[in-house]
Amino acid sequence: MSSSPTDVTEVARTMEIAMPQMGISVAEGTIVEWRKQPGDHVEADEPVCDVSTDKVDVEIPAPVAGRLARIVAQPGETVEVGAVLAELEVGGGSEPDHSRVYSPIVRRMAADNHIDLEQVEGHGVGGRVRKADLVAFLEEHRERPLHTESPYKPEPEEPPTLVSHRETSVDVLGPTRRETMSPMRKQIAAHMVESRHTAAHCTTVVEVDFGRIAARRAELRPRMADRGVNLTYLAFVAREVVAALEGHPILNASIDGEEIVHHSDVNLGIAVALEDGLIVPVIRQAQRLSLEGMAAAIGDLAARAREKRLQPDDVQGGTFTITNPGQFGAVLATPIINSPQVAILDLEAVVKRPVVIESGGEDSIAIRPMSYLCMSWDHRALDGAEAARFLGELREGLERGRTE
Amino acid sequence: MAELTYLEAISDGLRTEMRRDESVFCLGEDIGAFGGAFKVTAGFAEEFGPERVLDTPLAENAIVGAATGAAIEGMRPVCEMQFADFIACGFDQLVNVAAKLHYRQGQSVPLVVRLPSGGGFSGGPFHSQNPEAWFLQAPGLKVVAPATAADAKGLLASAIRDPNPVCFLEHKGLYRHVRDEVPEGEYTVPLGKARVAREGGELTVIAYGSAVPLALAAAEALEEDIEVLDLRSLCPLDTEAILASARKTGKVLIAHEATRACGVGAEVAALIGAEAFEDLDGPIRRLTAADVPIPFSPPLEQEVLPQLDDMKEACRELLAY
Repeated sequence: MSSSPTDVTEVARTMEIAMPQMGISVAEGTIVEWRKQPGDHVEADEPVCDVSTDKVDVEIPAPVAGRLARIVAQPGETVEVGAVLAELEVGGGSEPDHSRVYSPIVRRMAADNHIDLEQVEGHGVGGRVRKADLVAFLEEHRERPLHTESPYKPEPEEPPTLVSHRETSVDVLGPTRRETMSPMRKQIAAHMVESRHTAAHCTTVVEVDFGRIAARRAELRPRMADRGVNLTYLAFVAREVVAALEGHPILNASIDGEEIVHHSDVNLGIAVALEDGLIVPVIRQAQRLSLEGMAAAIGDLAARAREKRLQPDDVQGGTFTITNPGQFGAVLATPIINSPQVAILDLEAVVKRPVVIESGGEDSIAIRPMSYLCMSWDHRALDGAEAARFLGELREGLERGRTE
Repeated sequence: MAELTYLEAISDGLRTEMRRDESVFCLGEDIGAFGGAFKVTAGFAEEFGPERVLDTPLAENAIVGAATGAAIEGMRPVCEMQFADFIACGFDQLVNVAAKLHYRQGQSVPLVVRLPSGGGFSGGPFHSQNPEAWFLQAPGLKVVAPATAADAKGLLASAIRDPNPVCFLEHKGLYRHVRDEVPEGEYTVPLGKARVAREGGELTVIAYGSAVPLALAAAEALEEDIEVLDLRSLCPLDTEAILASARKTGKVLIAHEATRACGVGAEVAALIGAEAFEDLDGPIRRLTAADVPIPFSPPLEQEVLPQLDDMKEACRELLAY
């Protein structure tokens, strides 16, 4: 710690006012009158007393600004040149009380941590509560170690899933091997359980004909590939999701206590499977992106996620999430909402299925590339009709092509 | 790696770029046979010949003007001012012609003006100035100010390769007093990237040029948790690094040897005030030269220019705040 209040008061120092040299032949002077009394504030060069010599009468000015601490030479006393007339206290001592004046960072940290700043002792100038004082206070009053990235936030709660079942007999289980969860697994566990606990999960499913998208993809893909962009089904879905969200802002929202926070931007989270877990990088302001821009952004985030080159900012601030495990052939899932967001859309495998299509009033059976879009949504924020309307619009966009 | 002085590193950087690229040449007063006022180009005339190491008349506007013309024609001239102060005579060509050609005509002007700057040696008002702020108000110019020998070499190479006119401020006080490991051969340091010269958590000293060693010495002497950010480039300014450090420590001292009013410190302080206000734990303060001409008198010059004790005092005050 750099300083205590003692250091600060030490900054105040005493300075002597001496009888000045007033001419070659003058060796002494007599104090006539003190114009300032101990405790008075004086400005630099302001006269503090009058001195009479055998030649002239002069005013003695203060050499610097300060507070007159003590008068040494009393009126009527005759003193030699160079003798001390009075003492002046300079700096520090008259420091105003700043113990309850707070800097922006101190206010913010206190609010974040629900700290009553009156309880925190300040060690800055004038008793100011410095950031360092608040950090020390938090350290003292928390049992948990402080979070490494942000020195004033406590570690997240341990995920409640990590209940030990050690009492289960090893004999019943047969040979086992125990491994500690990786930090990523622990974080996923905590986040998913927390979401399950707080959000009222419902899942709605629509079936979408990807025939048109498949054709468009085949048409556009070579050109985009020339420009280094891999055009996937996911990019089409992401683009249509962004468009459909515009008419259904309740799905581009998050829940904060009893408030619903609506977001102007669509910050689209894209779940990326990693070898040892899952990460959800975010495409910021996805509403600004064209189809190609979306494809490029997805490609970039996925690549950086796999190479572990994502920045902390890349995984924060999502407002809606898409997950896409369909590459493994699964056709249905009920994803867990990436809380505090309100909904998550699951894109499953596109598979060929026989479906009934209507053409010119005639029904017939055709083979079409079909997929289920499964959306889990938070019943606290919206109801089933709204979720179904959104999905219907999304299907319409994908099958008829609204946004290209 | 070889240990070089700041001066030798500038020389090495310039020589390496001249060997690498035939279009690089130098021009200035007495830089040929005499090797320049500070001997940066000593031996250059022998190696590269008088065509690439041009002795010019005492006419700074002509030096910068000729260099601008050569740069337009595809050359990469490196002008030497004997003292940074003398660029005032070449101001028009630099600020009104070279700096604005790209804006007006899309014409790149890849020239470098080397500016031996700074005081501390009783050079008086015409040989001691730190004129970087003059150029920061001329959009179109880049401005760099290295603090280490390695950066002096690497930033000079980047300045030469840059398509814009670059003012390269080399502090005379560092010429022979700063010595560090400098990579051999071709070596560049990107323009616009600051360097954390010392990590710390309670106070950031943002500095460049001669204020960097001063800040480091103060931090060592105080044994406090002080971060020192060496800006390296003044334009473009590494706003990201500045804000990151300010947000981390919450307390900022900006230090430079140049005068105070409307200087780099003012610009950096305004940036932090605007963008990192919520993270501040104290006032943003500056340690700079006083707003007066630099005196000849050694005690007066010491009073005007920031000294180690001033730096320590300024750090102590902010840490205690």
